[in-house]
This record gives sequence, structure tokens and C-alpha cells, in this order.
Amino acid sequence: MLEREKVALYLASRSLARGSRTGLVLNVAIIGLIFTNMILLPSIISGSVDLFNEQTIDFQTGDIQVRPGEGDQYIDRAGTLLETVNRVPGVRRASARYSIGATFSARNRSVSVPVTALDPRNEVEVTRIHETMADGEFFSGGEQGEILLGQYLAGNEDPRKDFYASLGGVRVGERVRVAYANGAVREYVVKGIFETKSYIVDYTALVTWDDLESVAGGRVDEATEILVRVDRDADPDRVKTALLGAGVQEEVKTWREAITSAVEESLETFGIINSISMVVSLVIAVVVIFIVITIKAMNQRRQIAILKAIGIHRSTIVRSYLLQVLAICGLGTLLGLAMVGALGAWFTAHPLVFPDGVVVPRFEPASLVENTVWLFAASLVAGYVPAWRITRENILAAMKAA
Amino acid sequence: MIRVEGLRKIYRMGAVEVRALDGVTLGIRQGEFVGVTGPSGSGKSTLLHLVGLLDPPSGGGISIQGTDVLALSDDEQTQFRLTRIGYIFQDYALVPDLTALENVVLPALALGLGEREGAERANTLLSRVGLAERTDHLPAELSGGEQQRIAVARALVNEPVLLLADEPCANLDTSASAMVMDLFASINRELGQTVLMVSHEDEHRRYFDRIVRLRDGRVEEEGEPGQP
Repeated sequence: MLEREKVALYLASRSLARGSRTGLVLNVAIIGLIFTNMILLPSIISGSVDLFNEQTIDFQTGDIQVRPGEGDQYIDRAGTLLETVNRVPGVRRASARYSIGATFSARNRSVSVPVTALDPRNEVEVTRIHETMADGEFFSGGEQGEILLGQYLAGNEDPRKDFYASLGGVRVGERVRVAYANGAVREYVVKGIFETKSYIVDYTALVTWDDLESVAGGRVDEATEILVRVDRDADPDRVKTALLGAGVQEEVKTWREAITSAVEESLETFGIINSISMVVSLVIAVVVIFIVITIKAMNQRRQIAILKAIGIHRSTIVRSYLLQVLAICGLGTLLGLAMVGALGAWFTAHPLVFPDGVVVPRFEPASLVENTVWLFAASLVAGYVPAWRITRENILAAMKAA
Repeated sequence: MIRVEGLRKIYRMGAVEVRALDGVTLGIRQGEFVGVTGPSGSGKSTLLHLVGLLDPPSGGGISIQGTDVLALSDDEQTQFRLTRIGYIFQDYALVPDLTALENVVLPALALGLGEREGAERANTLLSRVGLAERTDHLPAELSGGEQQRIAVARALVNEPVLLLADEPCANLDTSASAMVMDLFASINRELGQTVLMVSHEDEHRRYFDRIVRLRDGRVEEEGEPGQP
């Protein structure tokens, strides 16, 4: 059987070397562009997912989120639990948070959003909200009577620019009245406005734990959540196991587990868009290869008939066309990889700016391999069909028709 | 060695039935140089196509070296063409993407010879047909006579039991034609190669051991060149 492969290679190599150079270059370029198209959209989606994950970890959940156990509204003895968590190997720092419903009033506008109390000394070690101050400053610790607003809550003077109902463009230094769900009412000076670009986080407000205790009228040793940042090289799953092993009774979730089902559905939707894009690219590849091989085989009907007449097996001739398809695909894939590499370098230097952040497309090796395999498989099928069909023609009919 | 029995080939063109071959029977001995002559439409080329397994007959039988070749499968017939039959077409039928040497090497590679061994055999044959200096040329760079000599070398490379030539000089001038016919004669004489050739040139009659004359798809006459 190896003779057939040898002869097929012999024919294919000479056909490629002595056939139309322009045609070959064009075919390779088309496959290269198809490959790039197959990789680019998934890489942008991967970059967007990375951005979302980073925002989730940095602004919402930390690496691990500890929430009240089933049936409980609060984490009791939060101070003790915080100390326990901080002692677990792999934990860099934990921050207790207490969220409470409130109605904000300023500039004759009123908005109801949650306010979150935190200890700034812990918080800056766990989240990165303090790095996103668009105006003013983050808490330095111990402040009272001051509040930090998310950019969407602070809003704009022109309501048409607002994404949600807002406080009409409240600025640093202005006063905001906050009516808490427990009936307490306080007036705060806006110390800063943060802009994480996360729609959820930027529509909240932050106060210090001291302010929370003043609202509650005493020491608060409860929390609605504890966010945990793990050491740089630590695995959140292992740290979670260690936390459970250390006797943490509450609900412990890694950031990935904490992502809501709605977000999971969004990611699934991205996956579907990805698949559709890949299928469309493959269809284009199949059509191109099918046309290329059909035209080539049609133009070489006489040559195919001659080969059959002198005793070259049909399967050998089909294989010679498949080898040409493989060569075109191989060169096209190499060209595509070069273009993907160039695009990767370009987007690293000039990231894509989306409303919810800066996206650097991420080219995943697994995706490169998967798309390459699909492209080759689809091209082989697309090349096989016309070659198989034309080699079945009667020898004399093909010689006379050509 | 070759036995053709009641060979028929009927083409249907709409309601019209064309009997290209209508019961041809003939035998060819090993080492014979047989010429097939006859007017246009007499069935000469059709006979060669059927014996060369390029087209299936409508009826009759063909036996080559005791093998009932019509009973072979499509793949087996291809293999039979590769190993036992050398075919030379009127218009040379070389592969345009291959050089002279590569055209000749190709059937040898398909037979299982290595590239070096195939090239040695091809070079020997190209020298024999007088083209040792033109081995690296593509068919488009060669004259008709040169192309036909390459086709002869290609047909011989696998040492076939039967060489079929379908009006090999039809597209050649007189001197190229004489050169090709001399080549066939020397191959037949020196190698003992069995040759069945279609020709309608009177000057070719002297090369043949025997002539089969066809008319309307039937054998009209058969005998030595001087007889018919």
C-alpha cells in the first residue's frame, strides 16, 4: 500500500511545484484568512471572559467568598471567623463586608441601592477597588461621615448619559443623605468616586465599619460576606478545602463557583457565538477547497484519465489531490498562525476598549489546535468529494471531453 | 497469447445503435507485431481500447496470457494495465506537470520500484529511444516525435507483455514517424515485444508481421503484409 502513497506524493509535489503559483498563493492566503477568522473571535471572547473573571475576583468576590450558611442571613462572630480564615495557609488576607439596603438622596434625586461597610485596611489587601478611584480618594482607615460612590450611582448631570437612575452627577465633597433599611438616616460627604467598570460594583456605595456601627448603634460582629485573597501561587480550590478543614462552617465558594447562573448563561452564549463563528468559517473553508479541487480536477480530467490508463489506481490519484489539500491547508495554517501572532502583538500594544473594560484577545493553544484539526478535517472532506467523483469518470469519456 | 473472441461494442446514440465492433475474433502470438488497419469508423481504435481495458465491451471475451481480463474487477484491471499492458496514444498523453524522466518513472514507482531504481530503468529506456539528453524537459518543451518516444519509453518501463499503440504516428511528420516506427520494430525484434498497432498508413505495412483489416466493426481480411 505504501507504493500508492509514494506515487500520490510524487504527483502532488510536482503538481504544486509546477502548477499555477498565483493560484497556490491565493488558496493559501484564503485558508490563512479563514484560520485567522476562526481564531480571532474566540480569542476576543476569551479576552472578554478574562476581563470579566478579573473584575469578579478584584471587585466582587475575591478569590474565595464566604457567605452565611444555609438559612442564615448573616455570618455570626465575624471577627473570630476573620481571624480563623487569616490563619489558614494560602490565605493572604480576608475582608469582612456588611451590605445593607439604603436609599440615597442628593441633588433632588433619590436612588435605592445597597451600601457596603468594610474595614479599609483589610479591603485594600483583598480587592482592587482602591486602585480605581476616578475622583477623590479611597478610605485610609477610621474615617467617619464619609462615603465612596460607584460611578453609576454618582451618575451624570445629564440623565441621558446615565446607565441607571443616579444621583445626578454628585461630585467629591458634596453631601449625600442615606436612609438605611433599619430606619437610621445619615448624611455623608462624598470622599471619592470609584470606577471599576463592573456594572454591579459601580452601582453601590462603600462606608467604613465604624460608620456601620454608628448606624447600628453598637458593635457589629456580623457580616454578610467575607472575601478572601489567596497567596499569589495558591490554588483557590485547595485553600477552600483548607478553610473547610479549619472548621469554617459557612458557605465557602471559590470565585468560579460564586459566579451566578446568569453569568454562566452569558458565558454559554459566548460559547454558542464562538461555535457559530467556527462553523461559518469551516463552511467557507469547505466551499473554497471544494471549488479549488473541483476546478483543478475538472481542468485535469484528461490527465486523470491518462493516469488511470497507464495503471495508476483511482485511490492513488485521489490521495494526490488530498495531499495537495493538506499542503494548501498546512501553508494556510502557518500563514494564519503568523497573522494571529501579529494580531496578538498588535492587540497587546493596542488593546480593544469596551465599555466594561480593556480587552486583550487571548489566543489559547487548545483553540489553535482544535481549529487547525477542524480546518484540516473539513478541507480533506471538501477535497475528497470532487477528486473521488472525477476519478470515477470513464477513461475514454474523460480523455475525449477534456 | 492473446485471444479475442466475438468482441462487440455497441454505442447507443438516442434511438440509433452504432455497432463499433461486431464480433471480432483474432489471436496474437507472443512476439508478434500485428497491425490493425481499415477505413475510418471501422473499429480499429475501439478494438485497441477494449483490449487495453480502457472501455468495457458489450459482449465477447478477451484473454491475455490465459487471464480472462473481462472478469477482473475495476481495480484488478487497473493493476493489469500497470503490470502487463503498455499503451501508446495518438496524442502522446503525457502528464504535463512531469518531466520526460518523471513520466517514464511514474508507472515503475506505481509498480513498487524505488525512485532510484525506477530512474535507472527510465534513463535506460530514454537512451534507447534517443532522448538521454532531454530527460529534464517538460512535455511542452518537446517536439511531437520526442513526446511520442517518451510515451513509448513509458509504455515499456514495466516490461509489459503487450504493447498497444493507437495510431502513434498520426500527429507526426514523415521523418519523426519513421523514427518512431523504427523504434517499434527494434523493440519488437530485439526484445521480442508483442505489439498490436492501429495504423492507416500504407508505409507502415512493411513493419508488421501480420495485418488485420477491419471494416464496419468486423475482420475483413487477415494475413501477412504482402497478402491483403
